[in-house]
Amino acid sequence: MAELSPKFVSQKISKIRWRPVQKQSLKAAEYFVTGSWDDDINKVCLWRLDQSHVKEEITLADNQYGELEPQKVCEIGQDGDVTDLCYVSIENLVSTSSTGSVYLYRQNSQGINVINCWDRLHEFNGQSTPCTCVSSRGDDMIVTGGEDGRLAILNITQTKPVRIIEKADSCTVNSVTFLTQSEILTVNSFGQLKIFDIRVDKEEPTKILSVNEDNTPLHCVDKHPGQPHIVATGGQDGMLTIWDVRKDRFPMTLLEAHSAAMWEVKFHPSNPDHLFTCSEDGSLWHWDGSAMGITQGSLLTGHGLGGSQFPSTHHQTDKISSEASPWISIESSRHKLEINSLLPNKSLPVNSLDIQNYTLLCGTDSETIYTVPLPNLR
Amino acid sequence: MHTSITRKLVNETHNVFVMLQGQVASSTGSNLQSQMVMSSKQYRAILKACSMDLMHMAETCEDEGERESFEDQIQIFEMIQLIWGFCQILFIEVTPDGLLLNQLLDWIKWHFTDGKRLAVDILHDEIPAEHPAYWEAIFRLLLQGEVDSVRKLLSLNTSNQNEAFLSVDELLRKMPQWAHYHHALSAAEFDMKWRHWRDECQRRLEEGHYVAFPNLETLVMVLCGDENVFAEMKDMCGSWYHLLVSKMLYQNPTVRAPDLHHYAEACMEEFTLSGTRMGELDNILLAAIQFDIHQVIKDSSAFLSTGSWWFVSHFTDLLHHCGQLDTQNLAYGSNLREFLLLEYASSLMSHKSLWQVGIDYLDYCSVFGRTYITQFINHMSLDNEKKAHKLLHICEERNMQEEVQTICKVMGMKSLRRGKLGAALSWFLRSRDVTATSKLTERLIMEYSKTGQFEYTDILDNLGPAMFLSNRLTFLVKYREFHKLYESGETNKAASLLLSLLEARLAPRTFWITLFKDATPLLESKEVIFNSGQTYVLMHCLEELRHELDAKTDISQKLTDMEKDKLDLLQLCLTRNLSKAIKAEGTVKTS
Repeated sequence: MAELSPKFVSQKISKIRWRPVQKQSLKAAEYFVTGSWDDDINKVCLWRLDQSHVKEEITLADNQYGELEPQKVCEIGQDGDVTDLCYVSIENLVSTSSTGSVYLYRQNSQGINVINCWDRLHEFNGQSTPCTCVSSRGDDMIVTGGEDGRLAILNITQTKPVRIIEKADSCTVNSVTFLTQSEILTVNSFGQLKIFDIRVDKEEPTKILSVNEDNTPLHCVDKHPGQPHIVATGGQDGMLTIWDVRKDRFPMTLLEAHSAAMWEVKFHPSNPDHLFTCSEDGSLWHWDGSAMGITQGSLLTGHGLGGSQFPSTHHQTDKISSEASPWISIESSRHKLEINSLLPNKSLPVNSLDIQNYTLLCGTDSETIYTVPLPNLR
Repeated sequence: MHTSITRKLVNETHNVFVMLQGQVASSTGSNLQSQMVMSSKQYRAILKACSMDLMHMAETCEDEGERESFEDQIQIFEMIQLIWGFCQILFIEVTPDGLLLNQLLDWIKWHFTDGKRLAVDILHDEIPAEHPAYWEAIFRLLLQGEVDSVRKLLSLNTSNQNEAFLSVDELLRKMPQWAHYHHALSAAEFDMKWRHWRDECQRRLEEGHYVAFPNLETLVMVLCGDENVFAEMKDMCGSWYHLLVSKMLYQNPTVRAPDLHHYAEACMEEFTLSGTRMGELDNILLAAIQFDIHQVIKDSSAFLSTGSWWFVSHFTDLLHHCGQLDTQNLAYGSNLREFLLLEYASSLMSHKSLWQVGIDYLDYCSVFGRTYITQFINHMSLDNEKKAHKLLHICEERNMQEEVQTICKVMGMKSLRRGKLGAALSWFLRSRDVTATSKLTERLIMEYSKTGQFEYTDILDNLGPAMFLSNRLTFLVKYREFHKLYESGETNKAASLLLSLLEARLAPRTFWITLFKDATPLLESKEVIFNSGQTYVLMHCLEELRHELDAKTDISQKLTDMEKDKLDLLQLCLTRNLSKAIKAEGTVKTS
């Protein structure tokens, strides 16, 4: 495997996102954006990574340290911490802030500019509260969640929000995603997964699912790219949980993973047998499920890096369905789940990751961006 | 110090530092020593990279003031690199046989590059031998032991076929260099070989082979290690430590570290005599030669720490692990290494972002580190939830339970004050704070009595075993459950739940009336829901309530007439239900 390269950037990274490429383009992704936090002036920065040397097979001799070093293209300052970033389309970038405001940026030849701004979108009793997450649907709709428990649905071309669900949650909404065209999925600090149907006018969620009895906060969520009823979440206790949201209250599988809160979980967008997680304990993991298939085998204990065990609590009420994704049938084939820790030394927390094609990016609290080439993703 | 460029230094060296502490804990002996050397080189490499970044910034900078501050910083870094390199040779990268001339030569070549630059210029010139700096370049390179480069330059001379030149070339070619021999010969054998060679040089000099070319004569005098010629050469050296190394090369190549200081003072005198003043850098290097490490650290702290304690703290830490530092305790309880690390970490803690790095350093301060961490964490502002979660993790990792409780409480109270009762409840539950939870629940119960609506149902309905943390909370959850059962029509279950709530005395007394009111529709319904046994229990509770309220002597708490009426009505309901129940139980059911 080729070497990963760190880049020290003088700001703690809270979010990192690839810029999407044209659908028909065969080029590897080139640009990515980062947001910083906990600094006097926080910034959203655009970087360029020249990946023309990244091929399917990379031998150690070919790769030199400097080849995968990102270069900063432009940056813009922002009030408050950058709490989430999301590309709505290739040009439009939405950023949410801990001041409760949401900004729309666009990049041109001069740099990044603010196109639209929703000030104090999140507030409680008149005081602004941090906005924590954002997700997009299509080219123009976004939904944001915040510490005020409010969900705001916006059209990026308009200044007034399309709809605000005031009391979506009694606790902080930590992450949000569009499950389908009309359904929104949120996770909160009370360990609950909630599904809202925006076609319906009421404020209550259509479904509430709980991660466990201790109500450990859930921090991140991602849906399976091909099968949106399969959802992965990560929590305060570092556990990775896989859900089938059509089913009952509790998750399908829980896997003990990190030793501290998991901040981000992502399915690979075009190869969803691969999952990536990063955590407060300073590690970045690649979960390779491509060897798992549907097997009739008996339960075996799992194995992973360092000989850690994977006990699981499994609430299964139905038989294993015959869908193609290995994540559903993880129980009987978990021993084939390969887990790789991608960072050489554990240090300060890894806050964010993003994956496209063969390159994984992550940003940490030690003011570093790591570019991890993964040429062997099948 | 903590500008955007030097922040990279802080973070990169933090990684090296943490790795080093880990290796110290796990390896020993020669393995450890090689790790130390590697860490030292890594520190220096990072420092060099940072210097180069600063130089680049200084060149492209437009503001005069900024450029000056960059250049100041660059100068300080240059001095640090010089000192660090020298100390690495003396204290860290100690060779088994104690000889250090090669390393010193490398050090000199790294920091004094004029000779090389001149040589490159000359080589590109058309007629090298007539370049004004031709001989200067040759001498500079000679003093650094770059024998091959000297030979090359000499071969470009117009008279290079002359006997004298050929003779010098031969001498240079045959010069024994420790780098080539140290695998094969011992120090004593090498010394003999070298002396033999030097005698040959001297012989040829005395026989006058080079009289025709004064420059060549000077060159061979250098090779012989002639004292006087070195006095002339000092300008080519530029500093006393360069002179020292050059002298050692031609007078005593098998010199060992402890003997260096004999020669150092003479070199220093050469320079002071001609009017150069000794600066802080020179004092520090001299202290190093004299193996007075404490003095080195003291002077560095005094002169090179105005920007930051970065240098002395990392440097001292490295020396400490090499065993070179006395572990005597200072007056204030910790040793020198810890004192400096604390200073460095404290400076980081006051920075908006770098506090996380600071905490890692404090972890390795065994005496005071924990106290410092506790203090700093107590003073951190909890701006938002994510930061609070991170701080909680830091405290939990270090087993600081009190701080965990404090943080949860602060976050809970913050939410409470802003009216976010749901979030507050989740924080109090997390820290298992019974008092706060009870108080909050009482507030929620009161709000229910006022509005008749349940708030935060998404939490209350999904609490699980956490509800048992506080009696009040258990009551509230069960009460909500009662309402849900009632609304969904499961009246029997609702009734027994209500009864158990009253029986278990979970509810606050003030709420009992409300509970009874809730019971009324169940009592009044056509079916018998409460059987006689249950009705007796209810009546008993009512009596109890009446007694207690009657017994209050305080007039304001006495029952109002309306309330007395309510209780009477209730009594009536209960009696009616009792009669219904007795009748139903006594009736023989016809199948």
